Amino acid sequence: MTKRLLAAALVAGFLAACVASALQFALTSPLILAAEKYETAAAPAPVHAFANPLIVLAHAGHDHGADEAQWQPAPGLPRLAFTALATLVSGVGYALLLGAVLVAAGRTVTPSEALTFGIGGFLSASLAPAIGLPPELPGMAAAALEARQLWWVATALATAAGLYLVAIRRGPAAVALGLALIVAPHVWGAPHGPEEISAMPPVFAAQFTARSLAIAFAFWAVLGLAFGWAWGAVEGRQGVARQTGVTA
Amino acid sequence: MVAITRSLSPALAGERLSAVLLAAALGVGLLFVSGFAPVVALHNAAHDWRHAHNFPCH
Repeated sequence: MTKRLLAAALVAGFLAACVASALQFALTSPLILAAEKYETAAAPAPVHAFANPLIVLAHAGHDHGADEAQWQPAPGLPRLAFTALATLVSGVGYALLLGAVLVAAGRTVTPSEALTFGIGGFLSASLAPAIGLPPELPGMAAAALEARQLWWVATALATAAGLYLVAIRRGPAAVALGLALIVAPHVWGAPHGPEEISAMPPVFAAQFTARSLAIAFAFWAVLGLAFGWAWGAVEGRQGVARQTGVTA
Repeated sequence: MVAITRSLSPALAGERLSAVLLAAALGVGLLFVSGFAPVVALHNAAHDWRHAHNFPCH
């Protein structure tokens, strides 16, 4: 069971990462590069010029300014390669979680069942957090990172638990509790940063948000379908191996 | 077919439990590295992925 789960997750993560990487290169990476031009143009370079050298402001200017001294992938192909690698690592990570949930829920894993759970993953980890924290381009003002990460994780977990209660448990109490869990993070409210006027054309931000969610949907759909398919394919191979083992 | 369904449905225990726990721990670990780790080099490597998939990023 463990081997089968790991193998199916590797296959599903790889296939979803292939699709998502291609879509990211075509749709979101060009927008990120364009936004970074505005970000570097608007970076408050003189911050250090008049500041007391003994006082180092945490997050002075923008993190990117501080990051530039650190390692980062070279522009062009290396950057695309590292983005693809991060997509692969995350794809396998999400596939492992999807498989763990499917097995824990005691479902018979088929492509359609895994697709249904994959769409649940999209709703929990992509759509629900995006309501409070829309996908943002580099250079857009935002609240403190830790507060946003905490809200993001809490929202994803609450939405997933809520969907489980509403769609699988289904009792009146479960549905009520599930709906409350889904709504609660948004009533609580996502941490918001200052509203800044940016030189970046707003169409960039709008395009980025829509494309980001579209890619996330394609990613989760492929992840679910591929996990269901790979789960069956691994079983087929194990069955054949067992049969040949018996006859041999 | 009925036997398969029945063998899957009992309480989470034994091999199923260990498979679920291992996959969940591995999955959370991989997602932490690619989506949340504050290490600057990891952030920079995964930067475009984090933005594209709406992980809070810098």
